[in-house]
Amino acid sequence: MLPIEIPRALSQNWPCRELQTRQLASLLGPLGPSPATLVVHGISATCKSTIVRAVLSALEVPHAIVRSTECITGRHLLTKILWATLEALGKRDEWENYGKGRCEHVSTLAVLLSECLASRSGKAIEKFVLVLDGIDKQREAPQTLLSALARLGEIIPSLSIVLILSATPRPLFLQAAGVPHISFPPYTRNEAISIILNSRPPTVTGLSAEVPPKIYPHFVSAIYDSLVGPTASSIPTFRSICEKLWPQFVSPITNGETPPGGSEEWDFSRLLLKNRGLFRHHGEAALVHHIVTEEPTSFTNGSMSKSMLPAVSTPSPLPSLPYFPTLILTSAYLASHIPQRLDTIFFSKFSSSSLSARNKRAHHRRRLKLLSKAQAEDARTASNDPSTPSKKGKRQKTRITKSTLESAFATSSATTSAAGATGITGPSTILTARPFPLERLIAIYHAIDPNPPANPILQAAVSDAIYAELATLRRLRLVVPAAGRESGGRMGLGSGGLNSGNTTSDAGEKWCVNVSGDWIGEMAKGIGVEVGEWLAGGLD
Amino acid sequence: MDLDTETQGVAKDGSNTQGVYIYRPVTSAKAHGERPSKRRKVQPEIKEQKSESHPFVPLLDGEENESSVELRYNAYRLLWSTQETKIQEILDDVDSEVLENVLSFVRSTSHLTYDGCIPTALITVGSNVSSLGRLLSKLNDQLAASEEGGVVILESGDAPNLKATLKNIIRAAVTNTEGNNGYQNFLTDREGPRLLGYDLDLLGDYVKRKGIKKLVVAFRDSEAFDPNILTDLLSLLSSWLDRIPFTLLFGISTSVELFEGRLPRSSVALLRGRYFEIHGASNCVDRMYERLQADQNGRFWLGRNITGVLFEKSNDYFQTPEAFSRTVKYAYMTHFFANPLAMLLSEEISVNRQQGKVCEAIRNLPSFRRFCEHLLDDDSTEQVRSLLENDEFLFQQSLKYIEIGQQRMRSIFHVVKTVYLCLKSMDIRKKLTIPDLSIRALSGDLQDSTYMDDLLKGLKTLDSSKLKEVLAFMPQDLTDCPDFQEIKKDFEALVQTYQGTEPLRSEYDSHNSIVAATVVQQRVKLSKSKARLPQQNIEYTKVIDRVYALSEKYFVETLVIPQDLFLHEAFLLDMKNPLKEIFSPRPRFAIERALANPFDYLMSMSDRTEARISARQPATAILYQLYLESGALVNVYDLWQAFYAVFESEQGDACDERMTMTLFYRAVSELKALGMLKSSRKKVDHASKSAWIGL
Repeated sequence: MLPIEIPRALSQNWPCRELQTRQLASLLGPLGPSPATLVVHGISATCKSTIVRAVLSALEVPHAIVRSTECITGRHLLTKILWATLEALGKRDEWENYGKGRCEHVSTLAVLLSECLASRSGKAIEKFVLVLDGIDKQREAPQTLLSALARLGEIIPSLSIVLILSATPRPLFLQAAGVPHISFPPYTRNEAISIILNSRPPTVTGLSAEVPPKIYPHFVSAIYDSLVGPTASSIPTFRSICEKLWPQFVSPITNGETPPGGSEEWDFSRLLLKNRGLFRHHGEAALVHHIVTEEPTSFTNGSMSKSMLPAVSTPSPLPSLPYFPTLILTSAYLASHIPQRLDTIFFSKFSSSSLSARNKRAHHRRRLKLLSKAQAEDARTASNDPSTPSKKGKRQKTRITKSTLESAFATSSATTSAAGATGITGPSTILTARPFPLERLIAIYHAIDPNPPANPILQAAVSDAIYAELATLRRLRLVVPAAGRESGGRMGLGSGGLNSGNTTSDAGEKWCVNVSGDWIGEMAKGIGVEVGEWLAGGLD
Repeated sequence: MDLDTETQGVAKDGSNTQGVYIYRPVTSAKAHGERPSKRRKVQPEIKEQKSESHPFVPLLDGEENESSVELRYNAYRLLWSTQETKIQEILDDVDSEVLENVLSFVRSTSHLTYDGCIPTALITVGSNVSSLGRLLSKLNDQLAASEEGGVVILESGDAPNLKATLKNIIRAAVTNTEGNNGYQNFLTDREGPRLLGYDLDLLGDYVKRKGIKKLVVAFRDSEAFDPNILTDLLSLLSSWLDRIPFTLLFGISTSVELFEGRLPRSSVALLRGRYFEIHGASNCVDRMYERLQADQNGRFWLGRNITGVLFEKSNDYFQTPEAFSRTVKYAYMTHFFANPLAMLLSEEISVNRQQGKVCEAIRNLPSFRRFCEHLLDDDSTEQVRSLLENDEFLFQQSLKYIEIGQQRMRSIFHVVKTVYLCLKSMDIRKKLTIPDLSIRALSGDLQDSTYMDDLLKGLKTLDSSKLKEVLAFMPQDLTDCPDFQEIKKDFEALVQTYQGTEPLRSEYDSHNSIVAATVVQQRVKLSKSKARLPQQNIEYTKVIDRVYALSEKYFVETLVIPQDLFLHEAFLLDMKNPLKEIFSPRPRFAIERALANPFDYLMSMSDRTEARISARQPATAILYQLYLESGALVNVYDLWQAFYAVFESEQGDACDERMTMTLFYRAVSELKALGMLKSSRKKVDHASKSAWIGL
């Protein structure tokens, strides 16, 4: 096919890319000499690889395509390039002649490729195009790889290299001037809509043939404006959202509901009014991909009632951990989120460690908790004097009042920013998870244990059991050693404990909880521990 | 903890239950730093066949004779092998439904049905971690049998980096069908250049050659995988999806939401699939317990305490059903290993196996004493005399009573089963498990429990159709007795003659009572009165009354306290301790105790009772006790002073300061090695405390 004819032929299948197609076709066309290196760049889902592939096969130029994502190392990539070339030239059986099929270095590659291309029986090959797809995402690539590959085309005259990048290249990133770049910009609104409209609207049973041509274009542009455009989504997402929502959108028609306003037919605006909720609930849900999706249920019931949403067999969001690990996890969470300085306020058994005093305090704490819930705001102001009569003048500082908290926070360096304000607005959110030593975890475990042993002296050795369960929690990456977390980067939930084989534990090694507090609170409730009771500010 | 009992135990016989010993590792002759001798492949020496074929030792101070030791061993072997097959059956059966679902998912999906996403099955296993392994191996068997493909199981340990992960996937996939040699051949015997081990081209070739339709890659403990590697791997697998038909399978112990949250959005977008749930371990464990204990031909039972320990472990901790079965096995082993009376459980036992020592042991049993007292109360002094004096008679009686005791135990568990089934069918208790009831029954208070009240109350209000159902649950001992037969006959006759569509109801049924509301002095009074019953219902009420009376009587008779049975020591194991100590060891507790009270473990040389800290204790122990008295930061010099004072006060002028200093240094470094002390960054001359006693 001649380069001139190509854009027209390709735009049938891949519309809105005529310019890029024409550029590619003329640069790589068989008639003139091609540039030694060509850079094609654009963000993902802009049809780069597909267009390049299609143009090359339409031009019938000998070419080889190597997908960089499939190559694990730089060496792997080079080897793959060699084989792909051999295969494209039909010399697969002669691999032993070309470095025995091995290629360890770019310089070797240059030699081997030039041999390949030169030794065509009879005449030398005129032009060979090597496409390296996604080369900027190559794993374990040496620094010089890109510029070295760009030189290949200069060393071997008949070779031209096409580099497909998904990131916008920096200026002169190949250390060579005059390399032609072809940009694949993201599709504009009109382009995106026309691409979607190019394919037929998804068929819906019970919908007459006249309806889609009238309504579907409006529907698609409404979807673009409301969901796709603002989130800069790609064409496949756009298409899948349209396919998902279209049957629900037209369901008033298929269900035979009568349109409002006394008119005979449903038009777009009426449907849109009817389905306002659709864009809000389902649309936003459609933007986020989940592994477990709703099975495509038949839309016979069609109504947008909320009962459809939980009808799916969604897994429970809470993990099912046994009792003991849950308690340990809760203690870990508390240890992570309460500054060590406040430990005495929250967990200490102030005056004595006798059993009866402990039990009494636990009892009062529970009662206070209930009371504080029941009592209104005015009761709270008077909370400085304990509402239960203290017995024998013992220090009964069980109530965690706002003032104690505030004074504690004022001294705590981590939260000085928060303490300056009038009140503490959700300190649990201000305090990030901090590493804690294991001993503290165990101590807190003893403090929050909802079923404390009848005789604490007999039950002295929980810590050994805790270690065993903690190992499992660590495997599940719910609690991780803090050192691993640092090296893995602080922000990611998933990073942490990178070297899972590492089991050495230093004496003072710090640990950190690795999950969000919301469902730890939920789970703790399941075993009878109220996290809010312990957590700073959770009580008020 | 139980300090007193332990020290007494040691004092009594230090011979075979040695609490403390010095661990001497097998010393290699080489000094440290020398090169190890070259390893040579050595043919393992054929060990001489041991003359004794079993590992049991004679008990009763070694005076038990060989044959009864063998009896015990064989009885154990026989018993455990039957129990083990039962457990295995349950394990095989338990997840079959999930397996079915997963299999159909794997068969029915491909990347085409999920528009380019990798089909993914998310399996939440909760704490039942081992179940996934069983499931996967069964899945593999099924897929391999139908020649559709196979399962590659990846553990987090197999995935230290991307290359190794891929290598493992490829090797596992190939060796799954070809074997290890097949894999080597596969690597070498192919045309073209030798590929790198991690090149998925290999796998692509293999898939093409074998015509594999499904290749399941299973991540057993998906949480433990490094998310970065997982992300890389997913993008790689998805780019190969058009050539290799991958299906992914993730075992998730936490929750799907959490799993998704830990992967980047771009990786999640590559996956699509369904979610399956494997039920928690507790269900499986309950069934196992039921099979083991409530068996028709049970011969040996675990008592209340052990059941408690077992279920505490499996409900509150991460524990697999396999671990449960191992614990049970250990309990069985301890019984047969250490209890000479276990020989009575053997099937080969007969009167002529009698032995003086065993008879003596029987006479020392508490249950024997109680039994004799009972006999004396019944004025059968002759019998008691012969039991005490005549070995032969005693042995005969023991065999007889052991049989009776076992029968009683079986009946107890029949009742437990009956109560369970009845309560279930009457829909009274929602959360009811056999183990709960068993614990009650084994401690002898099922009879007075609310379960029994509920059951008997419920029994009264049953209508005829339900009654029929419930009667079918009744244990055989009860149904065999003539009274019951008679009731049943009457009941059936009654039902036969009755023609109404409604089932018969007794007068206790709430349907048959009338609530009348009358206004007396401006107050509403509700009065209940019995409705007039048709004749048949009155008849039916009589039947119900008889059933009630009979079953109550039966339950009271059957639900004895197992500890009251003569010779219960032989067929009922109820000691918490070896089990608890073995399966939850307490190293930290032991170390702390050894350091804080060294003479709990070591022999004290002096005869006078020591002060708490004395120079006779090991230096580390002294230092540890001083350390316990300090705060979070310890000034090392103060510590040294205190340490020196201990020696000084004891030895006076003879105290060698340099020697003491050496001891001090050694003790400090030992505490450091134990992770209890480390140098502090806050103050130069201080050490910080990093372990507190008693946590």
